[in-house]
Amino acid sequence: MVLNIVKNATCTFCGCVCDDIELHADEYRITQAKKACMLGKAWFLNHTAEQLYPDALIDGKEVSVDQAVEAAAELLDQADMPLIYGMSNITCEAQREAVALGERLGGVVDSHTSL
Amino acid sequence: MGGKVTCTLGEVKNRADFIVYWGGNPAECHPRHFTKYALIPKGKFVPRGRKDRTMVLVDIRETKSARASDIFLQIKPGKDFEVLTILRALVKNQPVDRTQVSDTGLTMDQLQDMVDRMKRAKFGVFFFGMGLSMTRGKHMNSAAVLTLAAELNAYTKFVAMPMRGHGNVTGADVVMRWQTGYPFGINFSRGYPRFNPGEFSTIDLLVRGDADAALILGADPGATMPQPCIDHLARIPTIVLDPKVTHTSRLAKVHITTAATGISAPGTAYRMDEVPLPLRPALQTSYPTDEQIIRRIYDAVASKPDWMIHSGKMTSAQI
Repeated sequence: MVLNIVKNATCTFCGCVCDDIELHADEYRITQAKKACMLGKAWFLNHTAEQLYPDALIDGKEVSVDQAVEAAAELLDQADMPLIYGMSNITCEAQREAVALGERLGGVVDSHTSL
Repeated sequence: MGGKVTCTLGEVKNRADFIVYWGGNPAECHPRHFTKYALIPKGKFVPRGRKDRTMVLVDIRETKSARASDIFLQIKPGKDFEVLTILRALVKNQPVDRTQVSDTGLTMDQLQDMVDRMKRAKFGVFFFGMGLSMTRGKHMNSAAVLTLAAELNAYTKFVAMPMRGHGNVTGADVVMRWQTGYPFGINFSRGYPRFNPGEFSTIDLLVRGDADAALILGADPGATMPQPCIDHLARIPTIVLDPKVTHTSRLAKVHITTAATGISAPGTAYRMDEVPLPLRPALQTSYPTDEQIIRRIYDAVASKPDWMIHSGKMTSAQI
């Protein structure tokens, strides 16, 4: 078993975004999150690299990612007022793509800030 | 920074000798805010750390954070705006109505003491939470605390900063501001960005039934939003990108599993003081990242006829 140690890892659970966490991980799980708070520990230790979920679902049935992407694009393109919402638990790089998609669709882009 | 008088958490650590938490409970919601950023650390101009700082908590109930405070001001629910406005008046030595003061749940002495302390501080900071920004008055409350901080700069250095909840919600504000000029609730339906919270914000769009498709990115409105919003998300085609199959995924038309941000997906996240930090994932996954999937959806949409030309609203030359 290989132990992977990541120093100065960044926790994205809350808005503090602490970047001094030391993570110890095996192939599938993070086993230790040093310096993290209670919330941060729970965040890191509750994730796994195991494939617990299907790659993609349409109407609750397993499909390939290709099919799901195509279906998503078709549904969003057909809509008059598509809404893109969330964005607070994705990276800035993904947020940038989301804004570009919103502009192309002529839809609405919104985050948790508006709640 | 959107016009607000603010600073980084590094400046708070090294300079702030007067810290006010307003409508937030950092002891339970941001556990390391006290120890890593604001209250406890020793800083260049506050060498004795906690001993060199005064901490005030303003809230409607005595939370766990009250134990860490030097002064706890318990105000009546929904009176934040009134308290802030009275403080602004007292800062400028204006007369205030005694009955209005008693309506807030505080005494004149408490408020005057607060004003004196704020003016005496070398470097003061307001950290305001959802107890201020999401209760009666909403964005007017945020505007009032930002204005109070700005006006205190006639006497000393004072700043304000929102206590942001979710990991990279600050990043969403920053990225949208960079790309569109507005921080959230942006409508592109005329081909250019328009901003109007209350009209283009998610809850309002869903309650009114305006949205006719939804793409949910790393969020679970099916577990957190008011029931009319959830009902509408179930009525329209909803697409969810999330590392887990969520409540929202179960009512959605399409779900795609993506790599977890910061756990197995690399990238950048913004801290609440708008400092960008790199993510260092510890796990590897075969799931694609949100970024990859959103770009693939974009490419698939871009291969279809452009809606604006197609709808006859504009020619390609205008776009």
